[in-house]
Amino acid sequence: MRTRLFTRRTPARGSVLAIGAILTLISLSAVAPASAQQKISKRYPGGKNVRVELKNISGTIVVESWNKNEIRLSAIIESKNANVTPRQVNDCLMVDVMSDNRGRGDVGEINFKLQVPVNSSVDVETRRGNINISNIRSDLVRAHVSSEGDIELTNISATQVVAHNVIGNIFFDGEFSGGGTYEFKSNKGDITIRIPGNSAFRLVAASPTRQIKLNDFWNNGFKTQDGRKYVGDVGDGRSSVSVTNFSGQITFLRK
Amino acid sequence: MNCDQCQELIQDLIDGSLSQRDEFTLNTHLQDCMDCESVRQDLTSILSYCQMHRGEYEAPPNTQALWLRIRNVVEAENGARAAAFAKTRQPSFLSRLMGHTWELSLPQLAASAVAIVLVVSLATVVGLRRLSGTEGVSATAETQIKGAYNVNERLWQRQQAINYWNQRVELNKTRWSSNMRDTFDRNMKVIDDAVANSLNELNRDPHNEFAEQMLNAAMNDKIDLLKDFSDL
Repeated sequence: MRTRLFTRRTPARGSVLAIGAILTLISLSAVAPASAQQKISKRYPGGKNVRVELKNISGTIVVESWNKNEIRLSAIIESKNANVTPRQVNDCLMVDVMSDNRGRGDVGEINFKLQVPVNSSVDVETRRGNINISNIRSDLVRAHVSSEGDIELTNISATQVVAHNVIGNIFFDGEFSGGGTYEFKSNKGDITIRIPGNSAFRLVAASPTRQIKLNDFWNNGFKTQDGRKYVGDVGDGRSSVSVTNFSGQITFLRK
Repeated sequence: MNCDQCQELIQDLIDGSLSQRDEFTLNTHLQDCMDCESVRQDLTSILSYCQMHRGEYEAPPNTQALWLRIRNVVEAENGARAAAFAKTRQPSFLSRLMGHTWELSLPQLAASAVAIVLVVSLATVVGLRRLSGTEGVSATAETQIKGAYNVNERLWQRQQAINYWNQRVELNKTRWSSNMRDTFDRNMKVIDDAVANSLNELNRDPHNEFAEQMLNAAMNDKIDLLKDFSDL
């Protein structure tokens, strides 16, 4: 009986099954590119002091240190059309999504995660999206969001730090090295700087909305322009700090 | 084809004066070479900007000063000519005055009027200063005029840069996704608000240094945003 069930399939039923299978395959292949998502993960050898440069168009960038002398780059690429081609020259790893995808139209979001040696110089930018950098001790940490996106720099000790965005919050948690330069700028968002109480720096802070809170770092030596700009030294003013916010709060916190 | 050869031919490509074969070779190279493609885009942007603004001439920053300079040059040349003529012939003062022809264009007349007003104003200021015994009035006025002039000149220069980058953005904007366009517009509005606020403050108080600094910063941000998005 069982044998008959399998062997006595009529030609009409067979063709219906075949057409059904083909239709299923076609519909699956049509849906597949729309939800296609690429994931890449690559490792690059590097010494203790490497440099990472990343230029993204849209998407988040996460950079964190790990205890290996190599770089690990992971990315989740939303569009199948997008191309990511990292290039390594000596101790510098460069990823330029803009150049890699010129002429390809909209390539959607690409979310990056970079794991680097703790002493790496980090220079990352994106046209839009959040940037999160943590646990870096080097000569440069630069995070630039051309339009909107939050920037969070945690446990950073670098001689040059730059954080710029147009819309979004900027949070810095770290320390200012003697002789270092630190620049934070946002057009619409809060800027919060959390540093040790014994930090020494020369500060220029400007906010047209008069929302500057120096808290424990305020002293009588500060000159102010109508509460909209503060210029003065904290400690011996060894490092230079510039904070500009057009319509948001500037807050200094002691850690 | 190498990059040097390519960049020499880009102008011809834009003009449409290349043979089909050269055009194909060049386009193949441009597809592979980002540097040359960037040069082509820059050149196209500059040309399209120039074409769109053909015939438009920006007024010089200070027309009155320009007219005064022209008038001074004209008068100096006339003076030199008159001195040379006087060496050969020495007519009487009355005949010289009566024989002189006064042909001035409207701008020259305007410039003369402005010069007279300036001289009278200066004389009045000097007179007042002597009378009241106060010092530094003219120096302060001069500094203020110079300051206002510098601000306007810097604004004008920045505006030119903004116009240029804006043209490039507009060329590429159609290729962006709607999300990207919304993001750009939203952020541009935030910066424009900052520019407008600083300008309003400067209009209320032209010597507000803080407002001037913020205006400079906001305009730089605007240029940066346009530059960053012009490549998309």
